[in-house]
Amino acid sequence: MRHQRSWQGWVLVGPALLVTLVLFAAPMVMVILTSLYRRNGGTTDRTLSLDNYVRLATDSTIHQALLNSLEVVGLTVFFSTLVAYPLAYIIAFRVPTQWQALVLLLTVVPFWTSYVVRSYSWLLVLAKNGVINQTLQGAGLIGDPITLANTRFATVLAFVHFFVMVSTLTIYASLRQIPRNLPLAARDLGASPWHVFTRITLPLSLPGVTVGAFLTFVLAIGDYITPQIVGGGNELLLPQLLMLQVSRRGDFPLAAAMALVLLVIVAAVYVVSAKNLTLERKR
Amino acid sequence: MKLLRGSISWVYALLVFGFILLPVASLVVFSFQATNLPLPPFTGPSLRWYEALFADSGMVEALRNSLVVGVVSAFFSTLLGFLSAYGLARYRPDGARVIRAALMTPLGVSYLVIGFGLAITANELALGRSLVLVTLGHIIINLPLAFAILLSQMRDEDETLEKAARDLGANEWVVITRIAIPVLLPGLLAAFLLSFTLSWDEFIIAFFLADFDVTLPIEIWSQLRTGLDAKTNAAGTLVFAISVVALTLAYVLNRAVQQRSRRQ
Amino acid sequence: MHKTRITVSMATLSAAALLLASCAGGTDAEPSSSSQSASTDAAQELNALVWCDHTDPALLAPFEEANNVTVNVRDYEGTGVALGILEQSQPGDWDVFVIDSVDVPRVAEAGLLAELDKADFDFEQFFEEVRLPEIHELNGVLYAVPEKFGYNTVAFNGANVDAEKMRDLSFLWDPELAGKIAIYDYYIPVMEFVGLELGIEPQNITVDDLPAIEARLVELKAQAAQVGDVVSTQTALATGEVDVIVGGGEFSTSVLNAENPDLDWILPNQGGIRWQQAIGVLAGSEKQELATKFVQYIVSAEGQAALATSSCYWGMPANENAALTDEQKDILRWDEQAGFIANSYPYYIPDADLDAAMLDVWTRVIVG
Repeated sequence: MRHQRSWQGWVLVGPALLVTLVLFAAPMVMVILTSLYRRNGGTTDRTLSLDNYVRLATDSTIHQALLNSLEVVGLTVFFSTLVAYPLAYIIAFRVPTQWQALVLLLTVVPFWTSYVVRSYSWLLVLAKNGVINQTLQGAGLIGDPITLANTRFATVLAFVHFFVMVSTLTIYASLRQIPRNLPLAARDLGASPWHVFTRITLPLSLPGVTVGAFLTFVLAIGDYITPQIVGGGNELLLPQLLMLQVSRRGDFPLAAAMALVLLVIVAAVYVVSAKNLTLERKR
Repeated sequence: MKLLRGSISWVYALLVFGFILLPVASLVVFSFQATNLPLPPFTGPSLRWYEALFADSGMVEALRNSLVVGVVSAFFSTLLGFLSAYGLARYRPDGARVIRAALMTPLGVSYLVIGFGLAITANELALGRSLVLVTLGHIIINLPLAFAILLSQMRDEDETLEKAARDLGANEWVVITRIAIPVLLPGLLAAFLLSFTLSWDEFIIAFFLADFDVTLPIEIWSQLRTGLDAKTNAAGTLVFAISVVALTLAYVLNRAVQQRSRRQ
Repeated sequence: MHKTRITVSMATLSAAALLLASCAGGTDAEPSSSSQSASTDAAQELNALVWCDHTDPALLAPFEEANNVTVNVRDYEGTGVALGILEQSQPGDWDVFVIDSVDVPRVAEAGLLAELDKADFDFEQFFEEVRLPEIHELNGVLYAVPEKFGYNTVAFNGANVDAEKMRDLSFLWDPELAGKIAIYDYYIPVMEFVGLELGIEPQNITVDDLPAIEARLVELKAQAAQVGDVVSTQTALATGEVDVIVGGGEFSTSVLNAENPDLDWILPNQGGIRWQQAIGVLAGSEKQELATKFVQYIVSAEGQAALATSSCYWGMPANENAALTDEQKDILRWDEQAGFIANSYPYYIPDADLDAAMLDVWTRVIVG
């Protein structure tokens, strides 16, 4: 009986596993394989070699791009979480239950406007004669316009803009799963609101925070659009360097090696945070 | 004290929503710009860019392509996610942990890498780039999410309901369609909507895998790279408007259905 | 009952999705249908790999209508990119190739370009200086036709920067311009331009010159607010984000001239770099006749006028008889071209090793 049920389980799971194998596992194997090829003038030399990895280890340009990426993404994760948490808390606990879904949807809907146009809009909002500068100048707070666009600040800001939404959703999901009676019971037993927050709410919402942070990290570190549009080419992040290999040099092997670097970083982060990476209610 | 806490909450929420809406507001306002550049000062209102947009068959095509790719990929992601979540939660097959890990792994890989991998694989197989490939790419990125959402929604209490139905003689198909799916409906809709949203907005995988039939993000990107004007603002605004209308419709319909069933 | 309604609505949703899926299947089953207007059976397609100035519908429409063809265009930012695209494609994917003239020899040698019949083109109509048979022909066989040219020099906002000061290339490094420069992201012309400031002529650049060029480039980058492609540098200049584009030229400003006549360009005393585009047919194309017809259209008086004033960027037409208005010729500085040509150097395309070394330097400088 148990064996039969297990078999049926496999049948149901089968299609998804097959899709994952064909559309994900196989391409990843291709990437690994390609990273062992070499780009020679105009052609791809398919003899296996570790040349690209040697290049990764020794090329300071690549190291710099990686460092830029880690810094920018680190800042993004930090600020997104910081801004999202209070918002998620407010929606979960201050907004009447029947309106919560609507408010969440209102948080999401602005992001149905096309990432590319939105990034470009940020560029214009942050421009020297854009909305922000003109407002600040009009209010007399600054004399000359400040450089906001085409900077690391612009990249982080545009990232945070999107990922605040992501983290708000995940943190909200966690907060909502906290049994209602827990904080009430704690209050009854004399705990202060601050105590309730730090000892009950915050720890129990950690999965939501972690999932949001992890999603932010994975999505941001591989993002090509935002830094490309608002960063102004003043510094390059790893995805941009990768695309440069692909587009300008046609060096797919080196690009593949860089792709694997991205993979490894994310895997490392995953391993570190694995325990908390689930929104399932703990039984 | 409570009043103060309440107002801090509202101020904060308003500030954050203001931040979220800022580029969108700029986008919308300058879509009505009369001159070329979508920058202050505002010289409108004018509908010239909307006229230009509808006259632009490339944009209209891209919009249609994005919708189709979004709905199709979201549908299959949700379907596959549902089947595997159901299979895992209700049947608990041997190796469940491995299955779960395998299905979730794509989540940990950047879209850039997934798109890149699919592109070089397609090239090796001499498969031409197309919207089909884009749809497949979007399925693989959304499947783990749909799976995770639906798995987290499957609770033990609902299993009792299903067991009861089986005891009463219902076959598997009935159990799934009459009980499991309806109970899971919020989760299914969440998975579908999330998958659609992520596909709709997705650039890099589509960029790697599309040929001349492009999705909206790619078309907008191309247009932004070849000319500076407010037409793309009009495109973004239109998309936004459609989303808002669709959402309102869905919400209204949902309430109507709920009210109707409550009356019964 | 409540649940029944939900089940029904779920079923409807699934049905709708499957219906749309079959729609998508239908669309993708004919990979050649890309525009709503190409619905007749006779409509053919031509795939062109081009610089962004060829994507203007105003340029393509006359040819498309006259020949019942849809021209699919894909634009790129540099020859390296284009070659990468070609490599990733199957033979027959592309028909027409627009390419920098200086790259024609190596691309022709690689066998990528189809032979063209010289009789199909009237070279007498082209400006003498752009005919360059030594570049466009290989062993006496024609492989590409010149179509457009211009300059990579400095573009600037005349309202904020003194045009006279711009005559000295060294002024770019002046503190007065700190944070006000955009660098055009094309390594060959910009690096050679920087080389001019150091007194090195492009055709004399060697690997040994690179460290000096790199150092000067780093100093220039420190002055820059951004590094970008054709349109983003144009945008930056138009919005006042920057006041100068290094490597810019008429291709940066002419298209914006109507809105802001202060935007201008100049060839400094040290000289500038002259770019030139050519157009050819790809050897792997299965529509060589149609592709050749397209090439002929592009270099015709009508095509040349549209190309010269294309929405992405303007430039001088290779054909002297291009049907331009006097106003357009003024903006392009038609009458001053002789002097400009004399004071500029064509791109010098280094050999593969120097090319790779230059790109390495450029990448290093940009990554920051």
